[in-house]
Amino acid sequence: MDKLTILLPALPLLSAVLVALLSGGSHRRVARTSIILSALTLLLAVSALALYLRDARPMQVSFGGDWGSLYLDPLSCIMALAVAGISLVVHVYSARYMAEESGYARFYVLLDLMAAAILLMVTAGDLITLLVAWHLIGVLLYFLLSHDTRRAATQRYAFWTFFTYRLGDLPLIFAAVLLYHAYGTLSLPLLFEHITATPDVHAVFGMPLMTMVGLLIVLSAFARSAQFPLHTWLPYTMEGPTPVSALMHAGIVNAGGFIINRFAPVFVNAGDVLHLVFAVGLVTAILGSVLMLTQNDIKKSLGYSTMGQMGFMFVECGVGAFSLAIYHLIAHGLFKGTLFLGAGDVIGDARKDDGVPHDDVYTFLVERRPVASRLPWVVAAAITVVVPLAVLGVSHWLVGGNFVGQQGAIILLFFGWVTGAQLLFATYRLRAESPWRVMTMIILSLVVVVAGYTVIEHAFDLFLYANRTLREHIYAAASIPIATFESLVAILTVAIVVGWLAVYYTNASGDHGNDRPSALRLAFYSLISREFYVADVYAWLTQMVLGLSERLNVWSRWV
Amino acid sequence: MWVLVALFLPLFPLSVVQNMLLARIPRPLARSALLLLLPQVGVTLLHTLHPPIPGFLVTWALLSSAFYALRLLTVRDLELWSGLFVSSALALTWGVAARGADVTTLRLFAFWFSLPATLLVLLTASLARRMGAAYAGLFTGLAQSQPRLAGVLTLVVLSIIATPPFPGFFALLDILHGFGGAAALSVLGVWLIWGWAATRVLQGFNSSNGREISGGDLGMSSVVGYAVTLVVFAAAGFLFTRGGL
Repeated sequence: MDKLTILLPALPLLSAVLVALLSGGSHRRVARTSIILSALTLLLAVSALALYLRDARPMQVSFGGDWGSLYLDPLSCIMALAVAGISLVVHVYSARYMAEESGYARFYVLLDLMAAAILLMVTAGDLITLLVAWHLIGVLLYFLLSHDTRRAATQRYAFWTFFTYRLGDLPLIFAAVLLYHAYGTLSLPLLFEHITATPDVHAVFGMPLMTMVGLLIVLSAFARSAQFPLHTWLPYTMEGPTPVSALMHAGIVNAGGFIINRFAPVFVNAGDVLHLVFAVGLVTAILGSVLMLTQNDIKKSLGYSTMGQMGFMFVECGVGAFSLAIYHLIAHGLFKGTLFLGAGDVIGDARKDDGVPHDDVYTFLVERRPVASRLPWVVAAAITVVVPLAVLGVSHWLVGGNFVGQQGAIILLFFGWVTGAQLLFATYRLRAESPWRVMTMIILSLVVVVAGYTVIEHAFDLFLYANRTLREHIYAAASIPIATFESLVAILTVAIVVGWLAVYYTNASGDHGNDRPSALRLAFYSLISREFYVADVYAWLTQMVLGLSERLNVWSRWV
Repeated sequence: MWVLVALFLPLFPLSVVQNMLLARIPRPLARSALLLLLPQVGVTLLHTLHPPIPGFLVTWALLSSAFYALRLLTVRDLELWSGLFVSSALALTWGVAARGADVTTLRLFAFWFSLPATLLVLLTASLARRMGAAYAGLFTGLAQSQPRLAGVLTLVVLSIIATPPFPGFFALLDILHGFGGAAALSVLGVWLIWGWAATRVLQGFNSSNGREISGGDLGMSSVVGYAVTLVVFAAAGFLFTRGGL
């Protein structure tokens, strides 16, 4: 078992060395070597998880020094499996996709090194190993994204990513220094034991140590997972090769959720920081979704969709549902990776057939099919408001008796309800020959998805956080005063129900307002089209710093 | 006496003397030797003085380091770049000394930053031989036309800016641990700017945005030489820094 753990990051590293040595040979040999070793890494990850399930005890493997240890617990086992799986798919896809590109062997070397670095990060057993892996991921991602050295845009956006990642590395380094300074150990399991025993040994900058450390960790996570306003790099990384986009959106960008889970014992004593995580996640989810809707480029749209999903993942962390965030990041990784790798085919299909349905007259007269219709809007609106809430509530109630009593769970039900409502509204707009049948099928699908989601999430919770006390403490830390909470939920519920009714009414009556958009709408649209001017502000700041640098050089006569 | 030390472990404005001296030495080997030697002389002098080092000097060292880091951002001449980088990095030695580190730790700290700088000086000479001047953005496309040279240049620059697994990373962790608080934040800021400056200079050579470089690539023996040096350097870092914290 010890040897297995060591091999997890070592196999991709070996692959990188072998591919570098084979770089003068054929493409096929390079790809085959890398893919075989990736497959072995996946097998190893499966074995590690199976062995953990058999023994059911975490394990730390040290090489005898102060650092360089690996730690296999439920979190690292499940993450290693996800990373190794996605990495193998990307390796296989790249074999043909990158065949016409220059630097084929270099690409595979970097891909293997990246897999090694991510596996090292998820299995790190001490602070230094974690920092080394965390840091290397940013550097390697820069070189992967800037693989095509002929395009200026690729270089520019790879730099944006690198700089944001470096910005995110530094708080984690500072957090590690503070933790080591306070507890005198590098080992993560030991550190967590000390934190649980004596959470607030002293204050830093006038803040309790755990609050400060928690804040630094989430700052790092914000940068890594593209949270507002550190999100600008994410949609533009589409300039990199598609397999890299897939790997990044499916794996690398999820590191924020992982690091918050890894340091869960810190957040038990940093409830205020969890509230900040919730707020930032919520803003990011909303802005990411709004920006996604305004894109006309499928890859950029997927980029903003990832931003929205990452925001949602942080909302989950912010309400204390840490294990749900891990489930979310794995599920999102799998479906987003699939979407990226299939984006080329979608574009190809769209060129052949635009997919726009024929109008009613054509359908009736030429195709001899009944004209599509919709449900009465009042009925559809009632279904939209009630059904998702009922499905979610019942499924959660079945899994855990007191689940709905927790604030985090209520907020998640709330988001689930809004998402379900959105799905039903989309169904309503579809217009079908048999609208009742379509609506019934969609509701059935919703029931299956939500029930499956609830059961799997519950299993994840029990697997990742077997310690019930820790689970409850995290939820407790994320809670806010009950009166504030209930008022907030009530106000939002009323606003959303009224909003949905208005949307349904407008849609059914065909009254979309004046053809000429108002000044307010235009201002809002321009704000979105400029992506809230965040990138412009950064560009302005960059120019300021570079200008200062130049003035200093001129003033000191370049010596 | 502090002034004398500040000449060798460069603090602005005395660092100007060292930078001018290095700029006037035409031979890369001699310049490399000086880059390795001068900081060690500074450490010896510092040790002779027997600290405690006054607090204002540590603040001045941090400001000096930040000053040179900022300047790096718009420097395109690789020869000048390595000189200014050494001025920024070695100023931090004062911080290590201020927390009472022994002479071996000080010597190693200076070495972790001056050795990769000497490698960069040697590479600069290789580039200058091929291009006439090692100037980022003047000739581009190194990654396409001379991949071995581009690869070695990239690795050397990464080792300079304290990227793991090179020892500079662990040395900076050590200094952060020693500092804590606002001083640690300023070191992190300097580190961030080093990364920014390094990407700018690497992009200036590796990407293909202008006139492409022509000429032969680095020989295999040179590549092996650089690779072995970097591997031994990283291994020495593992051995001596023990993770930094």
